[in-house]
Amino acid sequence: MKQQNLRRIISLGMLLVLVALFSALSKYFLNPNNLLEIIRDAAVPGIIGVGVTYVIITAGIDLSTGAEMALVAMVMANIYRYTLIPIPIMILVGILVGLLCGLFNGIIVAKLHLPEFIGTLATMGIFRAITYIIAIKENGTITSQPMKAYSYAILGKGFGRIYFVTIAFIVISVIGQIVLKNTRFGTNLYSVGANPKAAELSGINIARTRIIAYVIVGFCAALGAIFTTARLQSTTALLGDGFEFNPIAASVIGGVSLAGGYGDILGTFIGAIFMAALENGVLKLQMNTAYQYVIKGCIIIAVVIFDAWFNSVMEKRAQEAAAGGKEE
Amino acid sequence: MKKLTLNQLSKPIILVAFFLILTILRPSSFLSASNLGNVLWSVSVYGIMVSGTIFVFLLGGIDLSIGSLCGLTAVTCVMTIRHFNYSTTGVLLGILLTLGVGLLAGLVHGVIITTFKVPAFLVTFATQIIFLGLSMIFTNNKILSCQNPPAFTMIGKNPVPIILMIIAAAISWFVLRKTATGRYVYAVGGNPQAAAISGISVTKITIMAYMISGFTTAIGGIVLASMTQQCMASTGSGYEQFVIMAGVIGGISLLGGEGTVPGAIFGAVIIGLLQNGLNLMSVPSTQHGLVRGIVIIAAVGFDALQRDPAFQGWLAKRKQARAKNA
Amino acid sequence: MANEIILEAKNIYKSFSGVPVLQDVHFEVRKGEVHALMGENGAGKSTLIKIITGVYSKDAGSIWWEGKEVQVSSYADVQKLGIACIYQELSVEPPLTVAQNVFLGREPRKFGLIDHKKMIKDTEALIKQYGFPLKATDLVSNLGIGLRQLVEILKGLSCDSKLLIMDEPTASLSGKEAESLFGIIEKLREKEVSIIYISHRLEEVYRLSDRLTVLRNGKNAAVLNHDEIEPRKVIKTMIGKEVDESAGSAKEMRTNPNEVVLDVKDFSDDIGRFKNVSFQAHKGEILGFGGLIGAGRTELMRAIYGIDKHKSGTATLNGVELKYTAKSSIQAGFGFVPEDRRNQGFIPLLSTVKNVALTNYDIIKASGPSISDKDERDMGIRAIKQIDIRPDNPDKEVGLMSGGNQQKVVLGKWIMRDLKVLIVDEPTAGIDVGAKDQIYAILEDLAKQGVVVILVTSDLQELIRVSHRILVMRKGSIIKEFNSGVVTQSMVLEAGSGIVD
Repeated sequence: MKQQNLRRIISLGMLLVLVALFSALSKYFLNPNNLLEIIRDAAVPGIIGVGVTYVIITAGIDLSTGAEMALVAMVMANIYRYTLIPIPIMILVGILVGLLCGLFNGIIVAKLHLPEFIGTLATMGIFRAITYIIAIKENGTITSQPMKAYSYAILGKGFGRIYFVTIAFIVISVIGQIVLKNTRFGTNLYSVGANPKAAELSGINIARTRIIAYVIVGFCAALGAIFTTARLQSTTALLGDGFEFNPIAASVIGGVSLAGGYGDILGTFIGAIFMAALENGVLKLQMNTAYQYVIKGCIIIAVVIFDAWFNSVMEKRAQEAAAGGKEE
Repeated sequence: MKKLTLNQLSKPIILVAFFLILTILRPSSFLSASNLGNVLWSVSVYGIMVSGTIFVFLLGGIDLSIGSLCGLTAVTCVMTIRHFNYSTTGVLLGILLTLGVGLLAGLVHGVIITTFKVPAFLVTFATQIIFLGLSMIFTNNKILSCQNPPAFTMIGKNPVPIILMIIAAAISWFVLRKTATGRYVYAVGGNPQAAAISGISVTKITIMAYMISGFTTAIGGIVLASMTQQCMASTGSGYEQFVIMAGVIGGISLLGGEGTVPGAIFGAVIIGLLQNGLNLMSVPSTQHGLVRGIVIIAAVGFDALQRDPAFQGWLAKRKQARAKNA
Repeated sequence: MANEIILEAKNIYKSFSGVPVLQDVHFEVRKGEVHALMGENGAGKSTLIKIITGVYSKDAGSIWWEGKEVQVSSYADVQKLGIACIYQELSVEPPLTVAQNVFLGREPRKFGLIDHKKMIKDTEALIKQYGFPLKATDLVSNLGIGLRQLVEILKGLSCDSKLLIMDEPTASLSGKEAESLFGIIEKLREKEVSIIYISHRLEEVYRLSDRLTVLRNGKNAAVLNHDEIEPRKVIKTMIGKEVDESAGSAKEMRTNPNEVVLDVKDFSDDIGRFKNVSFQAHKGEILGFGGLIGAGRTELMRAIYGIDKHKSGTATLNGVELKYTAKSSIQAGFGFVPEDRRNQGFIPLLSTVKNVALTNYDIIKASGPSISDKDERDMGIRAIKQIDIRPDNPDKEVGLMSGGNQQKVVLGKWIMRDLKVLIVDEPTAGIDVGAKDQIYAILEDLAKQGVVVILVTSDLQELIRVSHRILVMRKGSIIKEFNSGVVTQSMVLEAGSGIVD
């Protein structure tokens, strides 16, 4: 069996085991409404995961997505509060802010050659700080800013339990997968991640490919911010704090290799649902949310170790196959 | 007698410049004894932590978990002391247990990284939230105060943290500068393959480095808890950034093999001054990230740029052009 | 038709920092011919190819393509002309399919999306045209190295390349894979694709090439037609006169009568890079290992020293079996100078003193854990004196030194020890003549002191000049021992190429 398919079956299997486990432990877990809720909760990390998957395929990482969300949301909140700019334009400005954040990341990483995780760790601090600077204050203290306009809040709803964000999640994942598999840009992402030298010899502009990937993350983070704040009908300076972990975790669980070159959006889609199911299950078991952190961290380490082992086994098999062919 | 180059002098110059700027901007408040005490106070925690984490940096590794491990160790220490009814025995046991937790965390990092050959930043990124989660579970998301006994509170009172920092830095300097182990750390960080051929166990050195990082983080946690006489899950959060910054500003290359303890301590002092300056100018701590981020990008970016062959080529060309013109 | 010249390099001159590498070299390739390029290491083959492919600029001369003079300054220029280079270090993308690799960067598109159907169809057509054992939809990560090479050839062909340059294409292929590559080369010739075939392997050149250009010391030595390619004659052309007065063309070999120090028995690894190798080395002997690149010499030495694992067999030093770890081997008296100096030899950021001291902290004075800086420094200075590193700055970072000095530092750390066996792998690759002589002197000196020196080298002159006795490896086994009588470079090369009487 092909390695990629095997890995896909493993991540699907992990999801099924998790669902079975929680279903056995809690009677509130396995019902249609809860499952729809899980998919809705998976949506925002999943949408951002599309961009993050692109970046990881190029052998990069982005730790700034949570802060990007906060900044986008806070810019929109300011527009909402202090201007009469219509909601659609406000949303466009928000998306523009996301794109700029991504562009900034891309330039730092691809042009200034900062190691990805240090560069995006730094921008995480910068975006968050700017969010605080422009945060809306009442009597000098930062408060949460309500955004209750009907035309905005509608984005947080849906057709009954089929939420708009769920639809967006599916649509963007499908588009993301098509772009990855059926455009030159998508192919370039893989080649930059797997063998940049070969990519260069084939005339691919490596820096541009990497920058575009970060810009797409910024776009996805902006969408994430819009859907999140529309549902909450408010935002705070703390929005998305620690959130950067989720899309990365979703990608890793879905089989996107942090060494670059392998993985796809379908994998991240499954990974995002896995993470949401995990969070939902932990809540249903009425465990302290703190346990989530511990469990999430352990699962990441377990998956990373598993992937390292899985890849080494596959490599050994390939080597043995090659050596087998050596017998004359 | 070696000639002092501008490069060698740049650190003291920066330091003096920082002092002067702060003195001019806030003459009365900056130079006050209590403020300078505060500076040293916060510098000492970064200094203690970076004295150990430098081992990881020198190997070209990274430890993103030190912030939340600092919190977890602070929690461990305080809870043990509270459990033993604020007795001096409790303090002793608490410190021992805390140091053990730090070492264990480092051991886990080192073993996972070397056995499975997985990227350090990912492992420590994951343990970061594990440690945070554990702290939240232990504290039940509450602030635990601990204002007794004196054996505990004295740890955080000047000049004890500074002395601890000096001891930690001195030991770290001694190991890196004077012992064979220190030489091996630089060798493994500079070229792991060559080091292995020279009979050095890359695995052992790596595990040791992460354990030392965990150990000094634990000391940092104890000092921090004692200084504030309390602890909570978020104690030490974001400290990994301060420590990375201190290292980078102090001339440590994140690619490994390059950097010194005095440099790192210099970096810690600069970070302390920077923060103090921002505080004196009433910049809220939530906005410090902006300055921090810019400093990291500038320092690492400059370092990376200098290593970039294209940039080197450009420099060489410019030199040639100048030589021609002259 | 057959005489139509597609590529011609005329009167090419090139020198690096004053040292001439190519002098008045002439090289031409006809349409549809397989033209082999041979020469000893350092004869200028790769420099010539790099000039043709636009990687290096030439000092003088001209390059003509299809009858017109062309200026090439980058690989992209060359690709546009219709020349493709198959690199030794393969430039394929493992996560992508064969078709995606072939069309990387110029995928056919329909409405902005990649037209997979067309891409696969076109790739299949190409595959069929040349009869490659590939499928357009195969993932390259699932292919062996030989098939990956075919993907790269296919990529070249898909750009309508009229000339393929193959640099040691069989170096990492199995016998079967090489066999299928030969078949493909035959087919390409039928399709009028020209091929420049660079190889050390005489039998391949003999079998495949229509013509052969031999370079020697940066000059044309000969251009031979297929019927003139006779292995012994080619070797003579490559080396020059059969017996030359200068050192290193021929020498009397001898067996050292001293006791056996190192005894290796039936050494094998698990994938056949070396198989059942046995040899003995005597006290004070310089034992040379000859053979072609990829014959398994480096792998064997690394396994004996203990960096890589072996599967079976034993190695004993003075009757005691080794533990096969670098640390224990060093303690037992081994030294090891690796083939890949830059990546494995030294720590570039550290000074000479610290690089020399790296393996020697067990013998440097220390008070408690604190090593004596003075003793460490003295050792560095001693090494600098003994091996003559100039300039003699003990604090200079080794990464900033010349190749010759770097190698001296690598050697220096071992000669500070009480050595019993020193393994040196390609000790003078990329090093200037003066430093070479000094390194030979050091090795000879060590042998006089009773150290076993094992010399692995692809430089025949060096092998003959320095060794007391020579073992030749081929395809993972020792196939020939020269332990008496006058041995010439030709004899070693013939043995390494499988011509054994």
